Amino acid sequence: MAIAEPTIESPAPPLVTRLHGWVTTVDHKRIGLMYLMMSLFFLVLGGLEVIWIRMQLWSANNTLVEADTFNQLFTMHGTTMIFFVVMPMIAGFANYLIPLMIGARDVAFPRLNAFGFWMSLFGGMILYLSYFTGEALYGAGSAPDVGWFAYAPLTSPAYSRGSSVDYWILATLVSGVGTLTFAINLIATIVSMRAPGMAIGKLPLFVWMMLVDAWLIVFAFPPFTAAQVMLLMDRHLGAHFFDTQAGGSAILWQHLFWFFGHPEVYIMALPAFGIISEVVPVFSRKVIFGHTTLAMSTTAIGFISMGVWAHHMFTVGLNDGLDAFFSAASFLIAVPTGIKIFNWTATLYGGRLRLHTPMLFALGFLSMFLIGGLTGVMLAAVPVDWQVSDSYFLVAHFHYVLFGGSLFALMAGLYYWYPKATGRMLDETWGKWHFWLQLIGFNLTFAPMHISGLMGMPRRVYTYQAGQGWEIWNQISTVGGFVMGAGFAVMFVNLLWSLQRGRIAGDDPWDAWTLEWATSSPPASYNFETIPIVRSRRPLWDKKHPEDPDWIHE
Amino acid sequence: MSEVNEESESIGMPAPTAWPMVSAAGVALAAVGIATNPFISVAGVMVLMVAIGGWLRELTPGRGEIEETWVPVDQRAREVVASSRRVAQPRAGLPGNRSHFPERVHTYASGVVGGLLGGGVMAGTAMLYGVVSGRGIWYPINMLAGIVLTRFDDVSKLELERFSVTAFIIASLLHLTASALVGLFFEIVLPTLPKSPVFWGGVVAPLMWTGVVYASIGILNPLMSEHIVWSWFIASQFAYGLTMGIYVVNAKKVPASHIEGASTADGRDHESQS
Ligand code: HEM
Ligand SMILES: [Cu+2]
Repeated sequence: MAIAEPTIESPAPPLVTRLHGWVTTVDHKRIGLMYLMMSLFFLVLGGLEVIWIRMQLWSANNTLVEADTFNQLFTMHGTTMIFFVVMPMIAGFANYLIPLMIGARDVAFPRLNAFGFWMSLFGGMILYLSYFTGEALYGAGSAPDVGWFAYAPLTSPAYSRGSSVDYWILATLVSGVGTLTFAINLIATIVSMRAPGMAIGKLPLFVWMMLVDAWLIVFAFPPFTAAQVMLLMDRHLGAHFFDTQAGGSAILWQHLFWFFGHPEVYIMALPAFGIISEVVPVFSRKVIFGHTTLAMSTTAIGFISMGVWAHHMFTVGLNDGLDAFFSAASFLIAVPTGIKIFNWTATLYGGRLRLHTPMLFALGFLSMFLIGGLTGVMLAAVPVDWQVSDSYFLVAHFHYVLFGGSLFALMAGLYYWYPKATGRMLDETWGKWHFWLQLIGFNLTFAPMHISGLMGMPRRVYTYQAGQGWEIWNQISTVGGFVMGAGFAVMFVNLLWSLQRGRIAGDDPWDAWTLEWATSSPPASYNFETIPIVRSRRPLWDKKHPEDPDWIHE
Repeated sequence: MSEVNEESESIGMPAPTAWPMVSAAGVALAAVGIATNPFISVAGVMVLMVAIGGWLRELTPGRGEIEETWVPVDQRAREVVASSRRVAQPRAGLPGNRSHFPERVHTYASGVVGGLLGGGVMAGTAMLYGVVSGRGIWYPINMLAGIVLTRFDDVSKLELERFSVTAFIIASLLHLTASALVGLFFEIVLPTLPKSPVFWGGVVAPLMWTGVVYASIGILNPLMSEHIVWSWFIASQFAYGLTMGIYVVNAKKVPASHIEGASTADGRDHESQS
């Protein structure tokens, strides 16, 4: 179907005016887009860091970078990817989509929303400022080098002179406040601004899962913030919370950190589940199987994930009973997760599958996340964890979860909703290139890490001796890293090219069912001319198929 | 959806404002000062105060809102129209647009009960082995507790043969939960597997599971692997799988919609309604 190019293009306003428009905007859609652009920007930085890491590990006794630099690289990579790539990407999707999906004109607190975004962005900038300002309080320093978890006592003034650790604390603190405002705003929006008829039970699954996600943020981030303030006090005011030499406790830091850090894993995973729950049914041409069980299992995951943090601490020497409890709780979380995987698979079953790029990424998510989940169950067994903790096996596991899980799903979302946000389709051919490069590169990179990990290669070593059989696996990993980098390059080209040249999308290019497809692409600043009235979980289906609407069945 | 609101030409929306950005910049500067120079913090706090002032002004009546005019009609969303495509009719043996797959399932309870029964038989087999081999009835229980109880990590055989309350409680909890969950899982997946469910539950699953454990345990937990007698390990897996499988297969099936509690199988009710 050919649609003519829009003709009413008024001459574009000058650059300064346009920039001013972005800086002052309180439109949830523009803020969402800014979050996404921020995320892609930091993806490049985090990617460059890891390419460096992988080149260093190419061969035994390599001297490309020094040990100190290596420490900075993996710290910056981990911190960047988690706080400044995955989190803003989630906030971006949620901001852009949720008011549209619930039929609202805006979020509950538009100005606070803008504030949250700028806090996240400035947080990221503070982190990278550390590369430029070396000389500071103690006369040394540069990028943080204590890992993304910043374990005590490494972060005490005695072990981390200079202010690099301060940059890590302040960056995550500032962006954390931004994340918290985002979550509060989201809860208020979902609770109070749904279109008439959209009962809680009729929320699209993405919205439901983001609601649980926002609650997780509200519970997990404040303790983290508190821990960071305590650490700042340790470093600058002579408090001794985590200073083992003055009676403080390093274990306390671990508890506080992982009390945040484990739920954080689910904070990054739930939005991915939400995206998959939107993409899979539309591209299978079927109703999602088990709407209720999917929603309920999300809630269960939310609760259980708050009670498993100490599985990151099996090796610090807690007592047996505690280990047993956290081990069992961790096994338990496999159940609601298994239910979800089953529901998605059952939705695929017998569907008329359309293998467009978003669907490919969704299928990639399903298989990669499954592998990550299985190794996660293995790690929940205490003796297994004792054996492979802090080895490359662990690095493989969490990348299958975070990258194979979150990032693959987020890519599915990117291809799925890009037409809504820009009015143009992403190019399918390039999309498929991106997908295959990313899938192959991903497995080349991370699958061998299972093996090198089992062979005893510890994580965070900057080099290793020859003759331990590790070289070949590291080389495969490095090649994989470059393949993946090529995939992302294709993605960037596609994003830019399609913005100008992509096929005109129209309002509803995928023949989908949720409300965001009822507005124009891109939507007007007020989203809808008239607020839609909802009768079922698939309001657009009802309109498209008056002979068999959903509400008779629900 | 996109009916034109003829009455008003515009709609009130929050006005653009730079104060949120300036506030955040103030906070960020205040933070950076901690790592660099306190004067930067002072400047940051001042920026923040000014910004809060500006922000508050936006909240007073008459400010902070603008009237946004509707976009021209030809740029608005089109009305969602009825599709000319008919809804897919349910085809024999295949799920349609709205239908559940699987159509008929076992109840959750049958999975849990089957799992627990299987677990009982399995425990019996394992303990029988303990007695027959002369290692004592508690041996398999202590071994199981060793999955979480690190105390058993490197103990003599002797201790593994002795009764321990903690080990007993932990092993029972683990065993019961795992048995029930595996049963539940099996019950859910069963209807999606082709034919002969006893074969899947009684033969394939135990073999696969044993294979995985056998392949990985040498690397993951060498000590444990020394203590495992594989013939009995497999025997107890089969005991579980067969008992659970037979129970679940013979349990009553209900339509999937009962479990989901919501929508019904495609077409069926619809047809009866029309
Ligand atoms: C969404 C994407 C990603 C996330 C969330 C992520 C997250 C992380 C985290 C948290 C760490 C731990 C850092 C530390 O030990 O302090 C890490 C380390 C690492 N990552 Fe990633 N990463 C991502 C993408 C990648 C990519 C694309 C590659 C390879 C091409 C990669 C390879 C590595 C390597 C080699 C390490 C170092 C492991 C170590 O020495 O401990 N990661 N990543
Ligand atoms: Cu965890």
